[in-house]
Amino acid sequence: MMRNPDGSLALDGDLDQPESGRETRWPLIVLVVGALLGCIFSAVSTSDFIQHLDRQVHSIHCSFIPGAGKELGESGCKAVMMSPYSSYFRESLWGGMPVSLWALATFAFLLYRGGLLLWRGKPTRPETLFLLAATALPVLMSLVYGYLSVAKVGETCKVCVGIYVSSAMVFMGAVVAHQKNSAPHDFTPLGGKFALWFVEGVLFVAFLSITYVIFTPSPDAKKALAGCGSLVSGDDPNEVMIPLPSGDGEPAIEVLDPLCPACKAFDERLGTSSLRKRLDLKAVLFPLDPACNWMVTEALHPGACAVSEAMLCAAGLSGTKDQKAAHEVLVWAFKNQEKLRDLAAKDDNAIRSKIESTFPKVKGCLGGTQVKSKLTKSLRWAVANAIPVLTPQLFVGNARMCDEDTDLGLEFTLSNMLSKQGKLARSQKKPGAAKP
Amino acid sequence: MNETTRRFGLMGVCVVIPAILVAAWSHAAQTRLKETASEAKDVAIASVSDDSYCTPQLKAIIRRVAGACGLIDGAGGRGCQPMEAKKVAALSGDDFNALFKPLSKRAHIIQFDASKTELDPDAATAIEKAWSDQRGASFFFVVSRASTDGAAALNETLSRDRAKAVLDHLQSKFKDGDLKNQVGLLWLGEQYAQLGDEFCAWSRSRSTACTDVEINRSAFVAWIDCAI
Repeated sequence: MMRNPDGSLALDGDLDQPESGRETRWPLIVLVVGALLGCIFSAVSTSDFIQHLDRQVHSIHCSFIPGAGKELGESGCKAVMMSPYSSYFRESLWGGMPVSLWALATFAFLLYRGGLLLWRGKPTRPETLFLLAATALPVLMSLVYGYLSVAKVGETCKVCVGIYVSSAMVFMGAVVAHQKNSAPHDFTPLGGKFALWFVEGVLFVAFLSITYVIFTPSPDAKKALAGCGSLVSGDDPNEVMIPLPSGDGEPAIEVLDPLCPACKAFDERLGTSSLRKRLDLKAVLFPLDPACNWMVTEALHPGACAVSEAMLCAAGLSGTKDQKAAHEVLVWAFKNQEKLRDLAAKDDNAIRSKIESTFPKVKGCLGGTQVKSKLTKSLRWAVANAIPVLTPQLFVGNARMCDEDTDLGLEFTLSNMLSKQGKLARSQKKPGAAKP
Repeated sequence: MNETTRRFGLMGVCVVIPAILVAAWSHAAQTRLKETASEAKDVAIASVSDDSYCTPQLKAIIRRVAGACGLIDGAGGRGCQPMEAKKVAALSGDDFNALFKPLSKRAHIIQFDASKTELDPDAATAIEKAWSDQRGASFFFVVSRASTDGAAALNETLSRDRAKAVLDHLQSKFKDGDLKNQVGLLWLGEQYAQLGDEFCAWSRSRSTACTDVEINRSAFVAWIDCAI
């Protein structure tokens, strides 16, 4: 059995110690500081994610300074956190497993490996080579998530940028540490050593993941299956529903306002979910704009009535609905929400002109008595079903998905509601007012 | 400190601290979830309009009128005879008209030629505009009249046909299944609740000169924003 000079048991990299490790000291300090920063940023992100597991609305951190910039309302950090890319296994775990938790585990592992080499000094070349390989993982993930953030979510998250920078720091530290490592080359097979260290890394990830699964708040099984309340009648006698792109599965109704940011985010979440194909989805327009909606007193989303009229016009007021044309208006409205709201807040005619110039097909229909009447029917569908005055809402069959399940818990709840047990639970529910 | 102690000590610190944090955050979320599970949520429920002008007295009268016209409780009928309207309203003509005064911004007065019941294009447009402005209102009242020129019996027929002309136009234009449950027709002839010339200032289908004779060759149309 080999022993170190201090008498301790020699493990993996302890053999073939180089005479001096001074040249790797500073790169390893950079790596350790980077790993510590990465731990803090990913811990902040994980903490923000976990606090939302109580199904409430919370302020979240959004700053390049770790732990600072906690804010309520829309931010890049919130958009990224609520996006489908922030967690995995969403169908089997409410909210899913946050990817930031794995980042935390990875940085904690790098902190351990880097800290150990720094503390002991004189790292071997296999050790710095493994560190280099291990730090490539957060860099790779940062590139992937940076792309998703910009290209798919359309927002950048400051806390995430902190993680990307930390990833770059640990990688640079590892590169320089390996380059400057003057320890003699080790020609013994590396497989065993690398496997051991790799297993250590896997244990970090597994330990934190298991801790998360054990302690994560458990959802209300009844609500997850049957939702919160149900429609009085899901019928559409006035033909106000507009078909949305989906599959041909369970009939579902999305109550939405085309200028509502939460509806846009919800639609995106639903759009990226594979479960959308299991729904036969229709939209009921419920603009939160007093220009047409008597149930709201403040113009939460000015211009929403005009855009809703445009969707109804594009779909056609009677007969077979033109799903594609209506969806084009919706996609355009979602994309330009802020501009359209600002435009309508200044001048309602301006938004109507903008709509007509973008979608000439709706000219002659927009603002007309027929479409106004149709939009009123859409709002009165909400009255007939006594649904809450809020958007978005999702009804699977006649069962209303609980509001707290429409963001992080969407896929878990939808998957449950669409399951055999969910269908059974929904069928046993009596028709009645949809509860908020 | 030997290498093994150093290794496992550092590994323990690096993995246990994050795990403790994750467990603590999750436990806090679970506690909050339990605390808020039983809290009632204060969210408005979609409902029909019930404007401030809908006093209990007004609602009582609307209920009587609407009930007599078969608009509520699934009666399914339509049309109130002139005298019946007077009876159900149980009011003087002036008091009856006063009921509708809060509707000055919602109502339209559809004017007709003398001894005629046909709608001109402006009248048709005004009716469509009024109908499409339903919002949260539950009842659409058409209260038609005739001027005191001519025989009372003829004026009664005229006012009935004017109300019917409005309804026919709505049916042909909107093909709306809710019409029979929402439109109440009251034809008053010349006998009851004649409009004063102050109603000339209201939204009319004609911009021509207006006298107390012309304003009564009309149908008063308006959505009533009262939940009854």
